[in-house]
Amino acid sequence: MSSLRLFLKDSITFFNLLILSYFFLGNGIYTILMLLSLRATWIHTRRLAYQGLDALRGSPLTPPVTILIPAWNEQDVIVNSLRSALQVDYPELGVIVVDDGSTDLTLDRLVESFHLLEMDGAYRPSIPTAPIRAFYMNPEIPNLLVVSKVRGGKPDALNAGINLCRSPYFCNLDADCLLERDALLRLMDPIVNSAAETVVSGGIVRILNGCETRNGRVTKVGLPPRVLERFQVVEYLRSFLFGRTGWHLLGGTLIVSGAFAVFHRATVIEAGGFCHDTVTEDMDLIVQLHHWAADNNRKIRMSFTSDPVCWTECPSNLTMLARQRRRWQLGLCQTLWKHSEILFGRKYGIVGWLSFPFHSYVEGLGAAAEFLGYLLVPLGILLGLVPPFFLVVFILLGFIYGSFLSVGAVLLEELTYRRYPRFRDLLTLLVFAMFENAGYRQLILYYRFQGVLKFLAGSRRWEKVAHAGANA
Amino acid sequence: MGSQTEPVTQWALTMLVCVLIGTCLLIAVALFRHRQQNRYSRYLRSLESNYRPILATLLSGRPTAQGINTLRALPLADLELLFDPLFSVGGVGQKHVAVLQALCTELGLIQLWQHRLTAGEEPKARRGSPRGTSLRPPAPSLLHLLLRAKSIRNLGVLRHQPSWPLLVRALDDPHPDIQSVALRSLATIRAPGSFPALVGRLHTVVLGKSASPSPRALKAALACFDLTCSAALLSSLRHPHRRIRFLGTDILRVMVCRDAALESDFLLRSEVCSPGIAEILLTNLCRDRSAEVRGRAAEVIAFLADPRATSVLYKLLFDPLWYVRLRAVRTLAKPRHSTPYLLLGIRDCLRDSHWRVREAAMQTLISLGRRGRQQLYEHFLTSQDQATREQIVEVIERSGLMASLVEGYGEGAGGVEALIVEQFASEAAPLGLSGVLRMSNPDVRQKFLERFLPVAHFKMQLQEETPLEASAGMGLQQVLEFPSVLAA
Repeated sequence: MSSLRLFLKDSITFFNLLILSYFFLGNGIYTILMLLSLRATWIHTRRLAYQGLDALRGSPLTPPVTILIPAWNEQDVIVNSLRSALQVDYPELGVIVVDDGSTDLTLDRLVESFHLLEMDGAYRPSIPTAPIRAFYMNPEIPNLLVVSKVRGGKPDALNAGINLCRSPYFCNLDADCLLERDALLRLMDPIVNSAAETVVSGGIVRILNGCETRNGRVTKVGLPPRVLERFQVVEYLRSFLFGRTGWHLLGGTLIVSGAFAVFHRATVIEAGGFCHDTVTEDMDLIVQLHHWAADNNRKIRMSFTSDPVCWTECPSNLTMLARQRRRWQLGLCQTLWKHSEILFGRKYGIVGWLSFPFHSYVEGLGAAAEFLGYLLVPLGILLGLVPPFFLVVFILLGFIYGSFLSVGAVLLEELTYRRYPRFRDLLTLLVFAMFENAGYRQLILYYRFQGVLKFLAGSRRWEKVAHAGANA
Repeated sequence: MGSQTEPVTQWALTMLVCVLIGTCLLIAVALFRHRQQNRYSRYLRSLESNYRPILATLLSGRPTAQGINTLRALPLADLELLFDPLFSVGGVGQKHVAVLQALCTELGLIQLWQHRLTAGEEPKARRGSPRGTSLRPPAPSLLHLLLRAKSIRNLGVLRHQPSWPLLVRALDDPHPDIQSVALRSLATIRAPGSFPALVGRLHTVVLGKSASPSPRALKAALACFDLTCSAALLSSLRHPHRRIRFLGTDILRVMVCRDAALESDFLLRSEVCSPGIAEILLTNLCRDRSAEVRGRAAEVIAFLADPRATSVLYKLLFDPLWYVRLRAVRTLAKPRHSTPYLLLGIRDCLRDSHWRVREAAMQTLISLGRRGRQQLYEHFLTSQDQATREQIVEVIERSGLMASLVEGYGEGAGGVEALIVEQFASEAAPLGLSGVLRMSNPDVRQKFLERFLPVAHFKMQLQEETPLEASAGMGLQQVLEFPSVLAA
């Protein structure tokens, strides 16, 4: 009996150390990212005054870009999204919508709204994809091409778009997203003005729920009415404003949102395009590009800027939120597992030694460790196996420090972009940031834990998130 | 156990309190910042409501001594705040620049901005040391950096010619932001005197002697200058370094294409382009080792008045590298190149091994007007290559030419235009034709069908006699179904 107790005690002590290290590492790195981003984002917003977008817009040397919109059963949002894409202010812009075998009215709505004609077209794939069924064009809108293809999944639709686009850069855009007019110019600025070869440029994704839209444009920014959506606003601010910015500053970008990012087409083709074997094709491509660059001894740069804005609809109910987060976690685990040789690989630099281990340990395994912690720490205390101070440390790191970081993200927003200028909105965001870690975080953790379990079970199922129609 | 854990618990509790205090501090900063920002916005609004009407009157070209004196009474910082929106994206129109420049000079703003540029270069005196004797370069504060960058931007927006030497010096600033803004301002001012300095800078950047600004930014800036400055590019065009030759040629190409877009019969005459440049293009660059250089050179050669240009372009149409052929065939899409000699070359490109060259040749022929289109239609009617024929159909559909072909056919057009429409109808997939007929107005449809149906019936009879052609007749069948579709 005493040996069992000893074994239990040792196991729980080991687990406690694991939890502590997870919290210390996660919170420590997030604090560093926050401090880095605070300064960098503040400076960046000041620099916007002399950024020179006019010069970029007027220059004949600004590289052409094609926006790729993969769509599968997006009949409610696709017309507005396409309208938003066509309204983007960019000197040489093309738009390709790839209807990935929709079974609803997605294609019909496009044909009807944009007066498209079915036309003959040749398909010359650089990356293999499912076959194309038909090409649709309107000679009055020469920069728009809509193709209908046999269903092959989002990565397949994106690859078909890459095959069809002629420009050196492409921008992938989710079918439920709305772009701000100058978003693409802002996204291309770091590519054009960088001396290094910038192959990826990502922008910020903000939550559309609660905003007013007209003809594919956001006309008034506001906070969403539902509690669940408001927590996601805080979460997105934290994730994009200091998570992505911080990793970019450290040179360890591992995730660029697939909802809105510009890629160098030839590099993506060389790296093999979007892969089908994970459910987060965006992260997989970024890691694949790091892999490819290191293997081929190529110096590439990935950029993240927080001023180009893409508005997206977030899940407004628990079922859809669960699906989204399970998929993200599953995709993260799949990608990290698939590219595990990057972990502490010398040739991968900061990605191999900091970013990849952090994502593996804190974002990947951490979900399971923290979730189990919520069950085992109270149990250990009840059984007298865990000292009471550990509960204080656990609360401190799990709840209070998380709130500190979330409040930091809201402060960063207030110091820089101030998209929610009303005092009431600021107060709401601060309150939600304070309480994000008391309930919402645990809920998300539960979904992420399910994602880890799905990964362990070998699942590859893409869980579709239906949109409530904030963009409709 | 209890005595061991007590300090740890205390430590944890202390940390907890610290983090809580930190969180409260962040909240306080956010609220304070919000209040401060709102006060600042109110101040800006009051400044604008009080002085914007005066500024608008002055900018409209009706300067009044009273108005200028009112603005002059404002502190310089407030004046800058008031003027700042005029220098932001889309702030001031082209026609107001001269007035705004005069106003800024009158109010002492230009002197302030120039002073900021020169002051940044002076060493700052250390405390206790005689003024200006310290050799240590100043570490400009962030605020100073932003002010300097904005000053440079403003001088650029005003196209203030006398400031260009200061801006060229700003290119040596250690901060890349200052370099980038200075470069953009130089590109806006376009002072001919600054062009050679920028070319020199381009060379040093490419040769690795300097890291910034980026070659792409330098190229974009140089391309904004007037074509008359291009003589200074000779050193780049003759440079042994491949990348410098490429950048030089590309800058020249952009300058030429920009001017050509403004003038339909634009030609590079010796007044705008030095004979040395024309010579080097026709003798060296069109045969350069780098395909990028040859491709770019082709686009400039297309505008040369020199009689040798035609044969050089013809040769470039058959360059070993597809990329050069693509550039060359695209550049011939100008009416003055629709000579029989070049048309023959372009038509040969319809048989090119690379689909993009074939496609560019088709587009060029379409843009060359009736003579070009005739060549394209004739090739379609005579070619045995199914891939090229399909590609021609695709290009015709995408260019929107199908609608005019259908209309012309209904109006009784003859020749290859009529033949090609009838041929399209008997192709396997006349999707564009079907679509155009479906969307066109009833008159056009009626006229088309009146002329086409007898031909179609004749072809149908032929199909029945020769079953092998049945597959080709599928498209025709679709077209024949139109009367019922239209009636429905």
